[in-house]
Amino acid sequence: MSLDEATRERIEGLVRETPVLLFMKGNRESPQCGFSATVVRILDTLIPEYATADVLQDAELRDGIKVFSSWPTIPQLYVGGEFVGGCDIVQELFANGELQQTLGVQADPDVSPEINVTEAATQALKQIVSERAPEGHAVHLQIDARFQSHLGLAPPEAGEIEIKGPGISLFLDPMSASRAHGIQIDVIETSDGTGFHIENPNAPEVRALPPEELRGWLESGRSFELLDVRTPEERALSSIDTSVLLTAEEAARVEALPRETALVFYCKAGGRSQQAAEYFAQKGFTEVHNLVGGIDAWLETSGS
Amino acid sequence: MALQIINAPGSDSRETATQIREAIAEAIPGAEIEVTSSSAGHFEIRVVSSAFEGKNRVAQHQLVYGAITELMVGDAPPVHAVDRLDCSLP
Repeated sequence: MSLDEATRERIEGLVRETPVLLFMKGNRESPQCGFSATVVRILDTLIPEYATADVLQDAELRDGIKVFSSWPTIPQLYVGGEFVGGCDIVQELFANGELQQTLGVQADPDVSPEINVTEAATQALKQIVSERAPEGHAVHLQIDARFQSHLGLAPPEAGEIEIKGPGISLFLDPMSASRAHGIQIDVIETSDGTGFHIENPNAPEVRALPPEELRGWLESGRSFELLDVRTPEERALSSIDTSVLLTAEEAARVEALPRETALVFYCKAGGRSQQAAEYFAQKGFTEVHNLVGGIDAWLETSGS
Repeated sequence: MALQIINAPGSDSRETATQIREAIAEAIPGAEIEVTSSSAGHFEIRVVSSAFEGKNRVAQHQLVYGAITELMVGDAPPVHAVDRLDCSLP
């Protein structure tokens, strides 16, 4: 099959303009196939940011990229305009460290982070290991490039770092270990039951901004960007004056701003805006705030 | 009435295997090519050629896959998957 000129140009443009681009089934948040999910997990471990193109949404791209790359399967990873490989190859390159080189990230193999596991968390982990871990599995802590922590059970792999605590050992890959110094693992009770709570002091900081404080900022004429991350439909119902909807274009404008620009995010209740705020904090913004309780709390405290 | 297993490896797979061989032979002249089918639409390919000299594994595979892409795209391609691809130097 020959590739029509328009499709070829489109794909060429995509891989040229996007530093790291993964052609995959589904997207980063919900991969639609195991092979795509594997590559997403690896990239998440290494870099905070990359782009994905969902071939399931685009029949032209689905076949086009196979011809373009001379590669018959999805996913396909491109870095700096160059084809890197599919799932097997990416796994291999990750295991031997070449992918880290290609992406310009290198973890210190001798890093030895200090990790605090509370007594309660130690007991809970020991219980999980004794009850649920298959032979040879151990507790793994993964901290991805967005500083999201994941605890899991897996067999230890070569190159991993073992942190021995009283009563329990944790295994981390070097990238995770480089993000783990000072981390605290505890157990908390929530409405959903008992769960692990992980505090990571290395995570980019998003500050909680109470509604009263935001009112003060607005009254004082302080300079900052007030960004609404809800849908246009929600925004039509009510919004905070001077805020703007965070569309893709708006996000691109904000990303280009000086990193010391103060940013305030809000949504309905504060969940979605926290994610958006964390995203911009990871981009290097130093003054990132999330409106506590979202617009619901804002309206409740308005008094008018 | 005898039941026929429609998707069993059979004449279609043999025909496709021939197409694969021919396409690779055209793209990599002089290559030694072996194509086998384990089940309908699934193939194992071994290619020996000096054209692989100086190429890494990804580039070697691209050379072969590039030759047979036509058989692997579309809604119901004759080649559903290449389960194994071995490229080596003579």
